Amino acid sequence: MRIIVPIKQILDPSGLSFRRDKERMFINREEWIIDPGSKAAIEAALRLKGEEDEILALSVGQPRADDALREALAMGCDTAYLLSDEAFAAADVSVTARVLAAAVGRLGGADLIVAGRESGDTGAGQIGPRLAEAMGYAQVTDVVALAIGEDGIEATRRWGEGYAMVEAPLPVVVTVAPEAFETRLPHGARIMSAYREWDVPVWTAADLELADAALSPLLAKRAESFPPELEVGERFRGDPETVAEDVVAALKRQKAIA
Amino acid sequence: MDFSFPKEYQLFRRMARDFAQNEIKPRAKAIDRDHTVPHDIIKKAAKLGLLGVPFPQKYGGMGAGETGYCILAEELGRVCSSTATVIGAHIGIAAMSIHLDGTEEQKQKYLVPLAQGTAIGAFGLTEAQAGSDAAAIKTTAVRDGDHYVLNGTKQFITNGDIADIMTVMALTDPSLGAYGGITAFIVETDTPGFSIGTLENKMGIRGSSTAETVFEDVRVPKENVLGGFGAGFLTFMKTLDVGRASLGAACLGGAQAAMEASIQWARAREQFGVPIATKQSVHFMIADMAVEIEALRSLIYRTAWMIDTGQPHILEASACKLFGSEVAHRCIDKAMQIHGALGYSRDYEIERGWRDQRITEIYEGTNEIQRIVVAANIFRPYGLRIPT
Repeated sequence: MRIIVPIKQILDPSGLSFRRDKERMFINREEWIIDPGSKAAIEAALRLKGEEDEILALSVGQPRADDALREALAMGCDTAYLLSDEAFAAADVSVTARVLAAAVGRLGGADLIVAGRESGDTGAGQIGPRLAEAMGYAQVTDVVALAIGEDGIEATRRWGEGYAMVEAPLPVVVTVAPEAFETRLPHGARIMSAYREWDVPVWTAADLELADAALSPLLAKRAESFPPELEVGERFRGDPETVAEDVVAALKRQKAIA
Repeated sequence: MDFSFPKEYQLFRRMARDFAQNEIKPRAKAIDRDHTVPHDIIKKAAKLGLLGVPFPQKYGGMGAGETGYCILAEELGRVCSSTATVIGAHIGIAAMSIHLDGTEEQKQKYLVPLAQGTAIGAFGLTEAQAGSDAAAIKTTAVRDGDHYVLNGTKQFITNGDIADIMTVMALTDPSLGAYGGITAFIVETDTPGFSIGTLENKMGIRGSSTAETVFEDVRVPKENVLGGFGAGFLTFMKTLDVGRASLGAACLGGAQAAMEASIQWARAREQFGVPIATKQSVHFMIADMAVEIEALRSLIYRTAWMIDTGQPHILEASACKLFGSEVAHRCIDKAMQIHGALGYSRDYEIERGWRDQRITEIYEGTNEIQRIVVAANIFRPYGLRIPT
């Protein structure tokens, strides 16, 4: 079985702070990481992988996304391709999905594509569904458990307040809920090999035979805004003893404790 | 000159930090309190390849050299000195002695399981009368057919009671002295005659075990001579030279953690209506910590690079251990001062860090011995020979 995992590299949100009064985001520490949704997708794919299966990671991004792909290799993916071209710079989700679809096509298709439910930065949640549409594959979104069955996949997905168990034939695109797949750490020796031995080929627009028309985005961002933070809860300050007493008193007031 | 870490090391540091912060840090307090080696953590570390970081991949290692190993030691030192000590003794001296001087057969038989973490290692040098004066050992090895018969007692052996494989230094010809008269052996600890004596009740690093190991007519096959007959002292000293760099790296982690805890606390603690982080007295302490930590970091990783590129490194490795342990001492001491009475409380990590730090000025060659090593190497180009 061939499993393809599209992954995204994002700025580590723990290195960012938001100044709502200045309407700006500040980068305190610039560290690029694999998006948690994408990482969960890698994990979900690795858990399914049998001896005969291969996992290919793809990423549309700047040259620095090479690091995300090498981390994917270190985690256990077999092959990785970076889809990078200056022509992709203005890509929105529609363009990104088209680039990914072109790459999947060039690879000869997949039996299973596993993606994150949504990314931790832009959070559109469209890559999986758009890729499924472009490829003409079935799609199952927001999956919390995934297995290979007789005739395809068996998945548990969120269904309103509960869950639904669904089956889908191959080929299929699955998007996974990041909280349902606790990710593994890469093995030390694979980290070394990922940089010292293995290659991550770069495919450009020309390699993917993508014309300019396919690369023009549908959306344009006009502005950003930072609405005031929602006031939730009560903030307690002071030395630990006072804070503890205040918290207990507040919980009693709300009848949360007796 | 390029002082940046190659990308594989950056990713490895993230992995090691993730492991240390998520798997070890939440347990560090209990590990110290209960005086127990966290075997489950050691097993998890092994599964990630962390017990073989510096060794070549063909021997089951990670292939990350001394640089990679120093990164691991630093990240472990940040969260739990006990775990850093268990893993440090295993990799840095036990497995390292086989890596440096083992034959191909010995590496296949012993280094592979050590690097993969299916076996735990210990390094048997110290005895009751032989610490700084390492050549004063009394343990003997006498040839008997295809075997050597070992008799004696090793003291203060980290991992002594949990090790499967132990490298041991013994006298084979007392008349020849350190160079020629001492031979190193690889001993499987399930060999009849090997037993565990008393366990030390230590001030710090209480989650690592420090055991007396007793050899009573322990028969070791002659194939297990490590580094050549009569060359054991050299093998052991060479091993310690390398081990000192990573020991300094663990101190670096401890010092860094002390500074970070101090910054956090100074921002939160208010006196005279303002956080104490706004006070110049605190600025000066943090600045002193930061500068020393930065100097130590440069020394550690430059030394690791020298080791990895095959350059002479005895002076620098000694300096790593000496400076590292003393920087850690000053940093944890300042951290305690910044934390005030809370730092002195058993409930907080500063007190543990303070107890854990103190041994780093004593073990694997006291700081006095390190000063002798440094001085001897400084004087040598001037034609003055100091015996070390």
